[in-house]
Amino acid sequence: MEINEENRAAKEVIQAILKSKKILRMYPENNPVYVKTLEDAYNKFKEFFYYNEELQLKIKQNEIYCGAEQVYSSSEKDDNLALFFFKDGLREITFKKGLTSEEMEAFLTVITLDFDTEVIDDDIVTLFWEKDFQNIQYVVDDAVLADEDDYNSAVVEEIKEESNSPDHLMKAYEDAFSESDKLKEASIIPLSDKDLQALLKEFEKDSQERLGKLVNILFEMMYLAETRQEFEDISLFLMNYVDYGVLQGDINIVTDILSRLKTLLENKNISADIKKYIEKILLFAGSEAVINHIGELLDSGQDIDEKAFDDFVRFLDKNAIAPFIKILGELKNIHPRKIVINALTYLGPKDIILLSSGLNDTRWYVVRNIIHILRKIADKRAVDFLLKTVKHGDNRVKIEVIRALGELGGAGVIIALREALDDPEVQVRIAAMKALGNIRSEAAKRIILDKIKDKNFKDKEFDEKKDYFETISKWKDEEIFDFLVSTLKKKTFFGSAKNDENRACAAYSLGLLGNKAALNILAKCRNESSKLIKEFSFAAIRKLEHE
Amino acid sequence: MSDKEELDLHKNAKDLINQISIVVRTAQIHDANNVAISSAISKLVSMLNMLLDKEGLICLELRGELFYINEYRIRYSLEYLLNFDFLVREFKKRETGSVIFKHQLKMDDIKTFTKAFISSPFSDEPFNSFQEKMSGVQSIEIGRLKKVVENEDAHDVRKMIKKTYFNAVSYTKGIMNKMKNGEKVNIKKAKRVMESMVDHILEEEQLLLGMTAIKDYDEYTYHHSVNVSILSIALGQRLGLSRKMLTELGMVALFHDTGKTEVPSEVLNKPTNFTDDEWKIIKKHPMWGVRAILKLKKLDELTMKSAIVSFEHHMNVDHSGYPKIRQLKELDLFSRIVSLADQYDAMTSSRVYSRTPMAPDKALSIMMDRAGTQLDPLLFKFFINMVGVYPIGTLVILDSKELGLVTESNQIFPTRPRVLLIIDSQGKRIEGHTVDLAEKDDQDRYLRSIKKTMDPNKYQINLAEYLL
Repeated sequence: MEINEENRAAKEVIQAILKSKKILRMYPENNPVYVKTLEDAYNKFKEFFYYNEELQLKIKQNEIYCGAEQVYSSSEKDDNLALFFFKDGLREITFKKGLTSEEMEAFLTVITLDFDTEVIDDDIVTLFWEKDFQNIQYVVDDAVLADEDDYNSAVVEEIKEESNSPDHLMKAYEDAFSESDKLKEASIIPLSDKDLQALLKEFEKDSQERLGKLVNILFEMMYLAETRQEFEDISLFLMNYVDYGVLQGDINIVTDILSRLKTLLENKNISADIKKYIEKILLFAGSEAVINHIGELLDSGQDIDEKAFDDFVRFLDKNAIAPFIKILGELKNIHPRKIVINALTYLGPKDIILLSSGLNDTRWYVVRNIIHILRKIADKRAVDFLLKTVKHGDNRVKIEVIRALGELGGAGVIIALREALDDPEVQVRIAAMKALGNIRSEAAKRIILDKIKDKNFKDKEFDEKKDYFETISKWKDEEIFDFLVSTLKKKTFFGSAKNDENRACAAYSLGLLGNKAALNILAKCRNESSKLIKEFSFAAIRKLEHE
Repeated sequence: MSDKEELDLHKNAKDLINQISIVVRTAQIHDANNVAISSAISKLVSMLNMLLDKEGLICLELRGELFYINEYRIRYSLEYLLNFDFLVREFKKRETGSVIFKHQLKMDDIKTFTKAFISSPFSDEPFNSFQEKMSGVQSIEIGRLKKVVENEDAHDVRKMIKKTYFNAVSYTKGIMNKMKNGEKVNIKKAKRVMESMVDHILEEEQLLLGMTAIKDYDEYTYHHSVNVSILSIALGQRLGLSRKMLTELGMVALFHDTGKTEVPSEVLNKPTNFTDDEWKIIKKHPMWGVRAILKLKKLDELTMKSAIVSFEHHMNVDHSGYPKIRQLKELDLFSRIVSLADQYDAMTSSRVYSRTPMAPDKALSIMMDRAGTQLDPLLFKFFINMVGVYPIGTLVILDSKELGLVTESNQIFPTRPRVLLIIDSQGKRIEGHTVDLAEKDDQDRYLRSIKKTMDPNKYQINLAEYLL
């Protein structure tokens, strides 16, 4: 191959490297553009190796040479391939003819990394070293590693200066023949298969989790610490490792740290000063930073040990409530949300007011989840906050809060529920009706009865009417029995169809009430011409007779 | 060749060396017609033929202490250690440096090879005898072991190693000062320093180990950290750790004494014995080290290992050292390695409070007493095998009445290191040249043997003058 031809081929390899450095960063590995770029680059190498055994590139600060010929030059500070290699000490890169496409890809993957913006603990030389290339060799100037210029020669001279005195040497020589020391027996100990087996066991043991070991050390250090600075440092480290454990998905280690801190906190021999540090760490575990990472972990799809997570939550304080509410709105998947809901259900009683502040969230589903949590906690202190949500713009929220209020009860609740019975949305009205049924107070009964007795009641849809009558059947008293019987008996001339609906519902309700005294009237109604009344009366009779 | 193919080839190469070793071992015990030897040979033949199919030719070569197959250095893991070491020794005994398998092989070819190999060391000229017996086998060619000569290349390697060593010392000095002043430290550089060390340990272990014998009193702390790194990496290599793990080991060893930067200099540099209070301060350096390391960079595997080693390196295997802890746990493997390297280098160095260092062999003998209590006995076995009976820097008087310094130990024949002569048999000081104590005369007698060892420190002999 002629020199010019060789240089052209070398330049084309450089161009292919430059192109790959840009393109590989932009596309995923399986993208056709990514694959094609690699193929093209490998072809350029193959073209060069068709006539040459190796491609040796000499790296200068702003130029790359192949032999005496400059094959790349740039005066840019950024985006300068020569400088990119040069700054980490690379002075020569040689690609051997045996270069495999895998090796080339590994090489290109390393140089594609964005060392300026990505958090990379290694420089380019380290990454090449770790790849242990067989067909890519490089020469590095390690002088960049020394902290002092020409330290090597300076120190060597200095050490050598203390030259040996001939007198001392001669004395040693003379003593060698006069001293009676015997030659020490060789003490090499042969290694046996048993030794190697023991060593393998050591390696297995050594793969144990290291964070746990480090945590043990930090606790030992806590016991040994004497100064405020030491305590401050150790507590800072422990905080970091709580967060690190979460990031690594190792909730067990986090729980272990917190559990040991709790034990220390209960130890009477620990000074109040130290306890302050411990409390600080425990509070940190529930901080926004940590809980945000919990959120990332939960949404990552990684398997979570839910038992360990529950244990972790047991160590948290009320400061974790707000961050948990925050991530509740951010989590993308249902299962993680359930886990957070459980956490808040445990933490909520520590500060109902704080938990209730979640009702002000702008996202309807967060509000609904908080209401659900408050329902589960069943603390009456939440009622005042829930009442403010009854008029929420989203019906799903309204329904949930009505259910909660129904379970919690209380003075203000009745009024709110009565108002909800007039809500334009039927599902809300039904929820309110059922909530009143749950409360089962006289006042609630009165509201339902009044509604049924209202002149406009007959105009409601049949299903809603049926729900009313079902609700009223929860008060199994005489007043209701009489009311239902009289409703069933009541016949009208005008609007008989609507009235029949009411009568059918009354029959249905009598069945639910369970009073067999209603059997006579129901039997009569069974023979009526209205199909609806017949059907509901029959069902009620069967219910009363069989239950 | 794809990575997968390359991996397979490397695995096959390791298996091949292992199988040759098995054949030789078996043949040393059994007669050639024994079924054990036949089946071992049969397996070897099929392995060789399979590789010959792929490669065309297989050249097994011994260079120094390492085997190469078709120019690829064969790195071996722990499971192969004994068989590899055995075969190195057997090749050396026969002065054999290479075996080239050229064509498809038959059982008889390998049987002849085995017989020739087994019988040749009993001859005066083992290689010639081996070669003669193999003359009828066309498919196998053997080559003589090349003598290691101090040529231009070796000189360059020495220069490079010296540079690597002092770069490491300079870097260590820099980071320790920076840490002391609370400045930011560049960990990327530390990794580079260690990678360079690991490469040299893998290729030129003895030369780099030799650098640890040079003790610079004025810069003790920095030299000590680097020496502990080198000794730890070398020991780690013996244990079969991967390159990456060796780098990590080197790093944690480099930072093991970081806590000393917080010890007040008037205490650290005190020439007399420490008071109880001063001891109390000194004993805090492992914990201060943990704090310094954990502040240095974000938490990752390496930071954790460094912190653990910093805390544990004075604890001792039996927990008799410091710091004293409440929950006794077994020390980390890296801590036990670093602790061996640390003790050895500290004992053989002159320090402020102990100006006269111990002779290396004396230090080893003290460490032997501590093995099983303070030191891990199993790791100590590997350690002593690594530094040798006569560690580099040992002053020896030879039966030829010459005085010299051990410059390189011999892994196969531990009592026969390479020695730099300082005084000749007439008692005259000479510009030394290195002799190999494994060298024999025509009558198969050793030219020189060690008569006794002496303490170079007793005579204030500056090893640097000879080793640098």
